[in-house]
Amino acid sequence: MSTNFSDELDDLAEFHWMMDMLQTVDVGIVVLDRNFNVVVWNAFMESHSGLLPSDVRERNLFELFPEVDQPWFIAKCRPIFELKTRAFITWEQRPYMFRFANYRPITGTEDYMYQNITLSPLTGTTGRVDHMCIMLYDVTDVAAHKKRAEAVEVSLNELREQTGTKA
Amino acid sequence: MYSVLICDDSMVARKQAAKCLPDEWDVAVHFAKHGGEAIEALKQGKGQLLLLDLNMPIMDGYQTLENILKEGIDTQVIVISGDVQPEAHERVRSLGALDFIKKPVKPAILKELLHKYHIIDAQAEDEPEAEVHTLDPDIRDCYQEITNIAMGRAGDHLARILNVFVRLPIPNVNLIEVSELHMMLQDIELKDSVSGICQGFVGPGISGEALFILSDSSFGDVAKIMGIEGAVDDHVQLELLMDAANILIGTCLTGLASQLDLYFSQGHPVVLGQHRSISELISSNRMRWRRTLAIELSYGLEGYNVHCDLVLLMTEESMKVMNYKLSHLLED
Repeated sequence: MSTNFSDELDDLAEFHWMMDMLQTVDVGIVVLDRNFNVVVWNAFMESHSGLLPSDVRERNLFELFPEVDQPWFIAKCRPIFELKTRAFITWEQRPYMFRFANYRPITGTEDYMYQNITLSPLTGTTGRVDHMCIMLYDVTDVAAHKKRAEAVEVSLNELREQTGTKA
Repeated sequence: MYSVLICDDSMVARKQAAKCLPDEWDVAVHFAKHGGEAIEALKQGKGQLLLLDLNMPIMDGYQTLENILKEGIDTQVIVISGDVQPEAHERVRSLGALDFIKKPVKPAILKELLHKYHIIDAQAEDEPEAEVHTLDPDIRDCYQEITNIAMGRAGDHLARILNVFVRLPIPNVNLIEVSELHMMLQDIELKDSVSGICQGFVGPGISGEALFILSDSSFGDVAKIMGIEGAVDDHVQLELLMDAANILIGTCLTGLASQLDLYFSQGHPVVLGQHRSISELISSNRMRWRRTLAIELSYGLEGYNVHCDLVLLMTEESMKVMNYKLSHLLED
């Protein structure tokens, strides 16, 4: 009896730190149901959006964030629910899904956070996909570097044209 | 100049055949993806010699041979096919083909035939035959089979979500050398007529990359299928490219993973564009690998002008794990 009790306590402790990890990981995690209502909203999302989990839970994503293009996002999610495959959105396609400020407000060069997004199906106990997960990565530095590299390339080409040297 | 037309639905096979033409032979090489394209090209005088595959969509090799006979097109045909059944051999000869070469083509064999039929003059050149690595036919069959199953499921899913009939491709499984991949990728880089995406994937002991290539002429129809209205500008093209890649790579990997009983993590996709030199990428990696397993799938959608290729590249080390996982299929 006592061993059972300590097992249960261990399970509970494990569940607790698993949740803690999910909360503190520096990646945005949002779980949505089939109607695009928010189920899970981790600390990353809370901090960057300024919305508490209690503000967003069971509320519709498109109501909370009117800037998210609804038909576009619903189309993106069809393969998640219907094919059980992941979908990816890169910052090159769309700089961001949620307009968050730059993570480094002082030394950052960009106004907003560039985001890479992975949409992943979550299979329930019945094997049906009733929920999906948005994972949001901050790729502002990558985007800034790429933009700078392109700018350098352009000025280099201009210089080449002026001086008549070949690439 | 003498012209050679290579007709195969597999990009890898086309490149491989082109590479096997004798180096010193000064010829114009043209390519066709199926019999229909081949007949067009032949009529334009683009193929005094035709190297023809048998299993192809739209118009297969047999139909192509029949058409050549019927329309009295002046060309010499050598069939290159993985189908080595004696009947296939007989049938193509009766349809006017000069000879039959088994896939993958070996330079020495092709050269021998070119001499035999006086297509090139017999000159005394003795070049050492390049070592050709081929896959064990049993393993090739096995990979082909699991890809077929994965694609069958994927095709069903795709048809449902896109409301189109998907012509299921016959997977081409090959061990390819760095140089061959190089040639393949150079095509993407040089021609602005294709766009590509690559995505890394990794499972326990298995690692690889998925390469998705869409011909630019497909964009209009892809937009129609995806229900996009308005002009298809660069931004929309990138969006469509990503969507198509997501669906095809996703369904194919899920299908393979479930048969191998494992889970693949997928990295974020990378757009293969003008700002990244693919040949540089490959050459700087040349030390790390020499050969890779390539599973190549060419897709077409019925009633639409859509053509895309999905190539799954896997490291040689991954094959050990995959063979082990598939050992129940390999046993007799």
